[in-house]
Amino acid sequence: MKPATVKESPTPSITRTCTLLAFAFFVPVLGAGAAVSKGFNHLLDAVVRIDVREESFDAGARRFTAGIGSGVIVSDDGLILTNAHVASPRSVELSVTLASLERVNATLVGWDHWTDLALLRIDLAEAKRRGLTFTHARFADSDTLFPGQTVYAVGTPHGLTRTVTRGIISNNRRYFADNRGVKGYETGLFNTWLQTDAAINPGNSGGPLVDEQGRVVGINSRGYLGADNLAFAIPANIAKRVVADLKGDGTITRSYIGIVPGALLDLEGFYSLKQNTGLLINSVDPGSPAARAGLRGGDIVLSIDGAAVDGRFPEQLPPILNIIASLPVGYNVKLVVKRGDQTLTPAIVTEKLESRQGEEWAFEKWGLTVRKVSRAYARENQLDDDTGLLVIGVQPGFPAAVAGLSRGDIVTKINQERIVTLEIAKALHDAFVAKPAPTLVEAESDRRVSLYILKP
Amino acid sequence: MKPSRSHLRFFFFVVVLLACAGARADDLPGLFKERVKSVVAVEFFTESELDRRPTIASALVADASGTLVLPPNAINNYVPPVKLKDFRVYLPGRPASEYSSGEYLGQDPVSGWHFVRVEEKLRGSLTPVTAFTARDASAEPSLGEEFWGIGLRGKDEDFMPYFMASRISNVQSLPERTAIALAEVAAPGLPVFDRAGKFAGVAIGGFGQTFVQYSRNDRGLPVMLLNVEESSVFQLAPDVIPWLARVPADVSGRPISWLGAYGLQPMDPEVAAFLKLGDQSGCVVSEVLEGSPAETAGLKARDIILTVDGRPLPRFKPDRVVVTYFERELGRRKPGDAVALTVLRGTERVEIKATLAEQPKLLREADRTYFEKLGFTAREFVYGDGIVRRVKLAGHKGVVAHFVKNSSPAGTAGLRPDDWILEVDGVEVKTYAEAIVKLAAIEADTTRTEFVLLTSRGGETAVLRVKLK
Repeated sequence: MKPATVKESPTPSITRTCTLLAFAFFVPVLGAGAAVSKGFNHLLDAVVRIDVREESFDAGARRFTAGIGSGVIVSDDGLILTNAHVASPRSVELSVTLASLERVNATLVGWDHWTDLALLRIDLAEAKRRGLTFTHARFADSDTLFPGQTVYAVGTPHGLTRTVTRGIISNNRRYFADNRGVKGYETGLFNTWLQTDAAINPGNSGGPLVDEQGRVVGINSRGYLGADNLAFAIPANIAKRVVADLKGDGTITRSYIGIVPGALLDLEGFYSLKQNTGLLINSVDPGSPAARAGLRGGDIVLSIDGAAVDGRFPEQLPPILNIIASLPVGYNVKLVVKRGDQTLTPAIVTEKLESRQGEEWAFEKWGLTVRKVSRAYARENQLDDDTGLLVIGVQPGFPAAVAGLSRGDIVTKINQERIVTLEIAKALHDAFVAKPAPTLVEAESDRRVSLYILKP
Repeated sequence: MKPSRSHLRFFFFVVVLLACAGARADDLPGLFKERVKSVVAVEFFTESELDRRPTIASALVADASGTLVLPPNAINNYVPPVKLKDFRVYLPGRPASEYSSGEYLGQDPVSGWHFVRVEEKLRGSLTPVTAFTARDASAEPSLGEEFWGIGLRGKDEDFMPYFMASRISNVQSLPERTAIALAEVAAPGLPVFDRAGKFAGVAIGGFGQTFVQYSRNDRGLPVMLLNVEESSVFQLAPDVIPWLARVPADVSGRPISWLGAYGLQPMDPEVAAFLKLGDQSGCVVSEVLEGSPAETAGLKARDIILTVDGRPLPRFKPDRVVVTYFERELGRRKPGDAVALTVLRGTERVEIKATLAEQPKLLREADRTYFEKLGFTAREFVYGDGIVRRVKLAGHKGVVAHFVKNSSPAGTAGLRPDDWILEVDGVEVKTYAEAIVKLAAIEADTTRTEFVLLTSRGGETAVLRVKLK
């Protein structure tokens, strides 16, 4: 039940917040030094709780799960910044609890799993009709952060709305490889992270990390569960760019050439390189533009489009990858590459960066949930091409499970028809629903081809 | 003193006489005492880079020239025969300090059995299992009939033989005719006899039983238990007696016939009915290997093999037995033999005539060298490595890290077993010999402080820097 008036709010803290909300509206913000707490309280009014209902396809059927996260309002027209692992295209219901404790619906504007950021918009018509007001946070320059600087995390840890925790910046350029990603989507390749010891727990996700003036320096994203205050946030400067891009058409287009870098560390001597030059290519994705141009593991990239690169330390790698990702798609990028004593200038044309995660779908009558095999998935798993649907769930007792299909199989043909797109399978399922008949499925598992019959 | 040949023959004669006339049917203690002579315990050592590990297995006596047969799982297929050392043969119940030496003869590709020949001095104390009358195919075990066999205790108990018996609950084709008893009848690899002492079959391992395990923390956890010392399942004598004579001509087990149809999967009856194949069984070919007889003969991935030399593949329960049946059919043939297959390709029946070839070099035959200072073993890249890594024949190069020592320079640099080494010090290594020369030079050079490997793991390459100082 929502409170009828602000005065009836149950806890003193909320009364205070609401009072200050009025304050913020009528009094202009003063100079930072004089009004540290004002800036901070202004920020508190921009932090929201996000309740998400989303669909999942893991169990052989379309199912719904609920989750809670945090977010921060970043514009006066109701844009909310949160994590991609809080709000995603799988979200079917997004409801936002404002600082005033009023709940309002929101819609997904766009998401970017590569940076683990998503952008929502408050249902402005509803907000206007109900006379709801809100304020928005300001960003700080995250490049000026220094280790030891005091920061605060604001959010909804374990559903405890409006929790503020305090800590310091433990490291302002943390690099870590993240293999699990955001719901299986890749993340963190193109940015470093802010590390903080401010307590961050599940539910803090998407909430802001702020400085003492209440300016957003990062978006809290993840922590090591069970560790003592090792938490990570996406730097505000990355977030600002993502907001600007997502605001447009809801997507961010990045470029891909297919190189996997490794830190050069102290291999400069071996490769006869000058101090602080070069990016070591550890691996080249088969079939990628870089592979087609003849690049291979052990090559050293000296410059990208004339700008020298330095990939000596792991935390230097994401910004370099970001340079490549920021190039236009179909662009002829000029790399200077050193291989032994040779210097190569391969012709590489960028491709559109795609996730390894394909679209998911549930074939209800078969009790089968699948994920489309993507180009990247096919590449990683050395499949011939991106034909097929990866089985991600079977429902016990349904035709797929009875026939013997199981998680991890790749359905390559249904009734002798190659499953090049998800749409082909949907049409075959529709036909099965309309007129149930035994259906022949060809599936691969660990390179072994088996045949199954789905019986009505 | 070494017994003369005539002595031996005489002894053998006596034994055979004993076997035929010594014990009355139903005199189980008497039958047991005689038949224990057809079993021994075998111990051997598997040598690795760092240690020697002992293995103990039960073995049966196959013939009068001291040939012993060990079950397939007694020796890991991937271990090169030269790494199997110091075979020792123990008589059941005799002090374990008295043993005879044996020689490893290799593995038969059809049965998977390993063969060992014991030194001459012990042969007189042994009776081949074939010396006892065998049950023939017309006398298949009937349900409820009782069979018995022999188990051996551990080395600390001098491999004391003991008696086991049980009744038959079921006989199946897997694809060998196989009897399943109610309880354990013999140690895996040891013979099983009927009440009259006739040789009825050989016990095989690998059959587990499903239980539900309850504990303080778990409520009903399904578990499968496998008795590795005793078995209740045995393959019947008519099917396994021919195998006893399959002593490998060479320790490599060659010749081994090869078709090159990879990842055979059974076709189940539902699929057969859908494809209007009636009661026909079949094997789906997942891939056709490059350069194989199957490829030359025009077999294609996803073909369904329906007949071998005109004979339809029989239906088995469970379905997957048909794959073993087909592999046995090929195994029976020699390289150079022709095999005719009928396959279903889409809706069309296609006749394939393939000439089997000799199996490409196996993993256990791959050359290898251990570099102690560097801390790893480099192994030759063989055909199977190409299959696993999906590398075309033209791309076969480099070496594979077969073993990596913990905390060694290579181990610290991040090298892992099965990593594929493509370059050493920035230079591509095309062949095993080339790699060994390079690595040996690095190992011998005491002034070297580091070297660099380009390795591939799961399709991704990585540059590893190995620090030597």
